[in-house]
Amino acid sequence: MQFELRTQVIEPRRKTFSNLVRRYGDRPASRYEEGSVDIQATENFHYRPLWAPDKELYDPTYTAFRLTDPYSFLDPRQLYYAPYVQSRAASGEAFSKSLDYVDSRGLLTKLPDGWAAIVGELLLPLRHYEAGAELISIEGSRFAYGTTIDQACTYAAFDRIGNAQSLSRVGIVFNDGHAHALAEAKEKWLDDPALQGLRRLIEELLIERDYAKELIALDLCDQLLYAVLYTHLDEAALMGGAGAYSLIAQHFSTWFLDQRRWIDQLVKVWFADPEFAETNKAAFNDVLDRRWSQIVEAVTDYSAALDSRVDTGAVAATSANAAAVAARLGELGLTVPGGK
Amino acid sequence: MTVPTQKPARKLTMQQRYAALTHDLDWDPTYVAEEEIYPFTTFEGIKVHDWSKWEDPFRLTVEAYNKYQAEKDRRLYAVLDGFAQSQGQLSLTEGRYMNAMKIFLQGIPSGEYQAHRNFSHLARYFNGPGARFASLCQSMDELRHAQTEIHTLSHYNKYFGGMHDWNKMSDRVWYLSVPKSFFDDAGTAGPFEWLIAIGFSFEYLLTNLLFVPFMSGAAFNGDLPTMTFGFSAQSDESRHMTLGLEGIKFMLEQDEDNLPIVQAWLDKWFWRGYRLIALVAGMMDYMLPKRVMSWKEAFELYFEEQMLNGLFKDLEYYGIKPPRHVQWAIDEKEILSHQVYWVLYQFSHAAAFTTTIPNEEDQAWLESAYPETWPVFKSVVWDKAQRVVDSGGRYFNPGLPQLCQICQIPMGFTEPGNPLVQCQRHSIYEGERYDFCSDGCQWIFDREPEKYVQAWLPVHQIYQGNCGGPTLPDVAVWYGLEPGDAGEYIGSMDHQDWLKWHASSIKEG
Ligand SMILES: [Fe+2]
Ligand SMILES: [Fe+2]
Repeated sequence: MQFELRTQVIEPRRKTFSNLVRRYGDRPASRYEEGSVDIQATENFHYRPLWAPDKELYDPTYTAFRLTDPYSFLDPRQLYYAPYVQSRAASGEAFSKSLDYVDSRGLLTKLPDGWAAIVGELLLPLRHYEAGAELISIEGSRFAYGTTIDQACTYAAFDRIGNAQSLSRVGIVFNDGHAHALAEAKEKWLDDPALQGLRRLIEELLIERDYAKELIALDLCDQLLYAVLYTHLDEAALMGGAGAYSLIAQHFSTWFLDQRRWIDQLVKVWFADPEFAETNKAAFNDVLDRRWSQIVEAVTDYSAALDSRVDTGAVAATSANAAAVAARLGELGLTVPGGK
Repeated sequence: MTVPTQKPARKLTMQQRYAALTHDLDWDPTYVAEEEIYPFTTFEGIKVHDWSKWEDPFRLTVEAYNKYQAEKDRRLYAVLDGFAQSQGQLSLTEGRYMNAMKIFLQGIPSGEYQAHRNFSHLARYFNGPGARFASLCQSMDELRHAQTEIHTLSHYNKYFGGMHDWNKMSDRVWYLSVPKSFFDDAGTAGPFEWLIAIGFSFEYLLTNLLFVPFMSGAAFNGDLPTMTFGFSAQSDESRHMTLGLEGIKFMLEQDEDNLPIVQAWLDKWFWRGYRLIALVAGMMDYMLPKRVMSWKEAFELYFEEQMLNGLFKDLEYYGIKPPRHVQWAIDEKEILSHQVYWVLYQFSHAAAFTTTIPNEEDQAWLESAYPETWPVFKSVVWDKAQRVVDSGGRYFNPGLPQLCQICQIPMGFTEPGNPLVQCQRHSIYEGERYDFCSDGCQWIFDREPEKYVQAWLPVHQIYQGNCGGPTLPDVAVWYGLEPGDAGEYIGSMDHQDWLKWHASSIKEG
């Protein structure tokens, strides 16, 4: 049978799925909500994991950070898969354009000596930092309780391996098509004292078995590292004749702004939880207790190395950044070691 | 500004460049032990001597991945939007076609989602960076599949029953414990077993049997969104197949001691997956108003021909044999769908789909597809059901079925070679009796009884009072069933709406 489509209005029986009606009332839902809220199984699990017999397959106790309702966290970016890959396709294209531009004019190969040292010896080794950050983030993709947190961690993981690949591409262009700059950068990552604080941090986080504590420690380090390397140095690079550095750095600082949005929201929701707010603060304080000085030290060492190549006042900037981050954490009611 | 000089040729080959962007990001830790970072890759007994021997199943950078996938999703969502705007559901073959999609939505996105989470587990915990990155891409893809499936069916949910509480239902409803226990089983295993269970056995051995019926069923029945989704997922699927194949080869090449472990997993997961897609068999032969091919034909083409006569010939080189119990599956191919649909028919008063007796056209098709077995089933089962309908009733089974402890399908399969004798096996473990539908399920239990005694069996749970109350209406509420979700299709809300929509369009036409 063939039916002519008419302009007849057929009344839908419902506007969206029942779980969303129960949560938000009888209104149409967004694709973010339909694809992200209440997707993970929460009950009636069949078997215990062979590798964690005291836990369920999905279990809120994989981390010390808890939420009464896991879906009190919604990604403020409303990213589900389709808009995620679309937004990253666009930023990837922008990055490639910048890199092609830099490459076609040989701008990275003609950097002033100090800036070339920063790129080769301090920036490129951070592709390993990003790769480690990916592992930390993907742990959240497996162990977070609830799809909205899992999903944000998953995209963060993919972003970070993407960052690692972008830095590697910078290395290849920097090296005019070869890979030994990457090999040398790897040696620095393994041996240069200026980088060991960062490497030790990443390796130690990878054995914590609490994805959220790892994520928070990583984020604290990111906040200091991104501020000095991509924001502070960006301005200095423009003044110091290293425009290519500035062009590259901007992509990373733009990404980090986006990353901040979901992590800040997650922290906000943790601390506003009706039941677990204090538990979550205690967990955060535990991270600060164990990691804050280590992080400040690691980024300060790194900043000193930056200053030794081109004196931009990186150490002073890091110290100011650390004070600012500590002040923000203090406002959230947290206790930052060192009395800040 | 200087004029750019002619650039020398690129010095890195594509392969070197890819390695620089992926594998080379890894380093050997020195502040902590490698075993502490990757603690889950030894307990299963798989021996890996050299992770660098992992061959990338595909070479995709993050940049390329985002670009391809964004383009695919742009096209897919354009189709979904257009379909919703034009009230595309009106041009389905029949309203009852939606029952197949209800089972799809209730059973598949939660499985895709589990695949996403557990491939993330591999992406974190495999020691080798190549294996981790391939798993990461698959984790992303599986999240995509879960979401695109939900978004594809979201429009239908507004107009048909049975779909509105799919996520709660997949945790609670009896027949949905079949897919749930399957994925729970794989996800609670170790990472290598997951790779054999899902990456290889499911994604390679059985994926065509699962997806082709749904997707071509969609194409034949006017379901443009599902068809478009299916095509769009296909290029992801081909990557997943190569990952599964690389996974099994890698394990087999690393150490010959891995062979018996891998073979046993293959035996287990073939049977587990085969029982899971029995639901698809029932769906494709009975729930599609227009059929593409029968279960039997699909099984012969996608499994016997492509896998047994193709893939397993290649795997012989490694000492791999076809799955244990494969003959049982072959012997069942002419009766499987009849048995499954009869179970669904009898118990659809407690399900989130509706069923109906095959109509004349259906019966003619069944007769031609199954000339040997259909006439027997018709006389044993459907003629009786028809007599109940003729006298103004509808046969529903008033009891609760006994479930197989492994596959969790109601016991309704028969002895090989004797389609009229129900097959029942049992094992005793720690003084308790456990029942199985087949040798395959019993064999799986006997290997790991301590795991399978934990199963959350829906019928046991009802008896124990864990499902909302003692009566069927209590359980239905707890399942999230609403009026119009369950029972007989003829006269159901979906059926009435369908007739109403088309009556008015005929009138106006
Ligand atoms: Fe999938
Ligand atoms: Fe079974």
